[in-house]
Amino acid sequence: MRLSGALFFSAGLALVAACAVSMAFAWPAKAAMFPLTMGIPLLVLALVQVVLDLREPPARADQALANRRSSAVFGWMAGFIALVMLLGFPFAVPIFVFCYLAFAGRERWLLAAVLAAAAWGAFHLLFQRLLHFPFETGLITGWFQ
Amino acid sequence: MIDALIQGLALVLQWNAFSLMLVGMALGFVVGLLPGIGGAATLALMLPFVFKMSPVEAFAFLLGMHSVAATTGDITSILFGVPGEGLSAATVVDGHPMAKQGEAARALGAALMSSLVGALIGAAALALAIPVVRPLVLTFGSPELFMVTVMGIACITSLSGLGTRAQLKGFAMGFLGLLLATIGQERQSGILRFDFGLMYLWEGLDLIPVLVGIFAIPEIIDLAVRGTSIAGNAPAAKLGAGVWEGIKDTFRHFWLVVRCSVVGVFVGILPGAGGGVAQWMAYAHAAQSARDATDRSRFGRGDVRGVLGPGAANNSKEGGDLIPTIAFGVPGSGAMAILLGAFLIMGLHPGPDMLTKHLAVTYSMVWTLVIANVITVIACLALLPYLAYVTRIRGGVIIPFLLLLVFVGSYTANKQIADLLVTLAAGAVGYLMVRFEWPRAPLVLGFVLGKLAETYLFISMARYGYSWLAQPLVLVLIALTVVVIVFPYFQERRTRAA
Repeated sequence: MRLSGALFFSAGLALVAACAVSMAFAWPAKAAMFPLTMGIPLLVLALVQVVLDLREPPARADQALANRRSSAVFGWMAGFIALVMLLGFPFAVPIFVFCYLAFAGRERWLLAAVLAAAAWGAFHLLFQRLLHFPFETGLITGWFQ
Repeated sequence: MIDALIQGLALVLQWNAFSLMLVGMALGFVVGLLPGIGGAATLALMLPFVFKMSPVEAFAFLLGMHSVAATTGDITSILFGVPGEGLSAATVVDGHPMAKQGEAARALGAALMSSLVGALIGAAALALAIPVVRPLVLTFGSPELFMVTVMGIACITSLSGLGTRAQLKGFAMGFLGLLLATIGQERQSGILRFDFGLMYLWEGLDLIPVLVGIFAIPEIIDLAVRGTSIAGNAPAAKLGAGVWEGIKDTFRHFWLVVRCSVVGVFVGILPGAGGGVAQWMAYAHAAQSARDATDRSRFGRGDVRGVLGPGAANNSKEGGDLIPTIAFGVPGSGAMAILLGAFLIMGLHPGPDMLTKHLAVTYSMVWTLVIANVITVIACLALLPYLAYVTRIRGGVIIPFLLLLVFVGSYTANKQIADLLVTLAAGAVGYLMVRFEWPRAPLVLGFVLGKLAETYLFISMARYGYSWLAQPLVLVLIALTVVVIVFPYFQERRTRAA
C-alpha cells in the first residue's frame, strides 16, 4: 500500500460522501432525494479514486519549502480572522497589513506603516464614509463602547 | 419604436441623467473590484438615494453602476485570481494563468472588448425582444427550467479536462458541488440538512465565500510559495504590450464571442439563473468549441478563448436580465429584484405600461447599458498598460492587500464573521484540489446550479408528476444535454483516430 497526500484527499472525500449519505437516509424521502442522488455517485467515484491512488506511486517532489510557506500563509489568514473577531475590521485591517509587511514581507517599517495607513484610508473612505457599511465590533473593542 | 429609441437616447444624454450615470459608474468601478459586495448589494445600498431622482436619472445611476461592476470584476480576476464581482470566477480559470505568463494586458484587453461586445448584444436583445418576449418566457415552465440547469450541469464534461481519470475527478467534484448546495433548510419540507446545529447553515452556504476561497486563496498561496511577483520572470516589455492583441483576439474569435453573448442573454432571461451560471455555461461552450482534444487541452492553462467567452456572457446577461424584469415584473436575478424596487419607488409598474406609455424610459435603459459600457471600456483600455504592471509588484508586498480583498469581500456579502471561516476552509479545500489535481470549475458549477435544480425538479414533480418528461421542449433539452455530455468524448476519439 502506498500512502500519499492525494490518497488522503480522495479518502477524505469518500468519508464526506459516506457521512452525507448516512445522514440523508434519516430524512424524509422528499428532503433526502437530492442529497442521496448526489451523494451516492460521489461516494462511488471517490472510492474508485482511492483505489487508483493506492495503485499509483506517490510523487517524489520535495515539498518541504512549499509546505512551510503555504502553512505560513494559512497562519496569517487565521491570524487576520482572529484579529477581526477581537478588534473588528477597522482596527484589524491596518494592524494586519503592517505586521505582514514588516514580519512576513520583511519590508522596511516605514514603508509598512505608510502602506498600512493607505489600506486603512481606502477601507475607511469606501466602506465607512461612502457606503456606510455596518461592520461588527470586535470582542475587545466592544468592551469600550 | 424608432421615435422612442431616439427619445430614450436624448433622455440619457440630458446633463442630469448623464452626470448621475458617471457617478454611478465611478462607484460601480470600485465596487466591481471587490469580491462579495457586488453589483446587487451596491444597488441595494444606493436605492435610498434615488427617491429624489426622475425615473431616467435613477435608472441611469443604478444601471450605470451595475453594468460597470460586471465589467471591472474581470480586472481582479485576471490580475490576481481573486474573482472581483463575485460572479466573474470563470474568467479566473484562463485569465489568471495568462497574467502569470506575463500576458495580463492581453487578457484584460480581451476581457474588456468581449465584455463590450457582450453588453452591446445584450442591449440589442433587450431592445428587440421587448415586443416579442412574452411567448418565449411563458414557454419556459419549471420542467424546462430544470432541464436547462441539467444542461448546465452536463457542461461538467467540458470543464473536467481530458481522459477518463480527469473526467472521473470532474464528475466527483460536480457531485460534491451539488451536495454542498443542499446544505440548509430544504425549501419544500422545511427539514434542516447538514446544519450540524448551526443557525448559520440554515440558509445554506453563500456562493461568495466558497467561490473566493476556492479560487483566490490557492493563487495567493502559489504566489507566496513562488516568492516572486505574479508575472514571475516574464519580460517587463511584454506586460503592457498585449492590449491590442487582446482586442484583436475578440475579433479573431468573434463568432465565439457572439455565441457566448447569446448564452448570456438566454440565461439572463431565465428567472433565478443569474450571472454565475451564464459565465460557466459560456466557458464550457468556449471549451467545447475547441477544434479537437489537443486544442481543448489548452483551456485552463491560459487560453484567451477562456477569457472571451465568460467576459461576453457576463455583460450580455444584463440585457437578458432586464427583459423579464421590464416586461413582466419578474426579476431574473437578485440585482433585478432590487431594481424592481426602484421601479416601484419611481411609481412605475413593470409590464405592459413599460412597453407602451413609458417606452422611452425603457429604451433609456438600453442606452444606459450601451453608453456606460462603452465609456468603461475606453477608460479601462487607457489604464490597462499601467494596471498590467501591478503583476510586477513583489509578492511579499501585494499578498496582504490580496488577503484583505478576499476577506473583506467575503464579509461584505452577508456581514457574517462565519463567512470568513468558510472562506478559509474553502481556501484550504481549493489549495488541496490544486495540489492533487482535482478540477475546481465543476465544483463551482454544481454548487451554483444545485439549489435551482432541486427547486425546479420539485415544482415539476409536484405539478406534473412524471409526465413533464414527455413535454416537447423538455425532450429537445434532454437531447441537447446528451449532445453536451457526449460531444467531448466524441471529439477525443476523433482526435485519437486522427
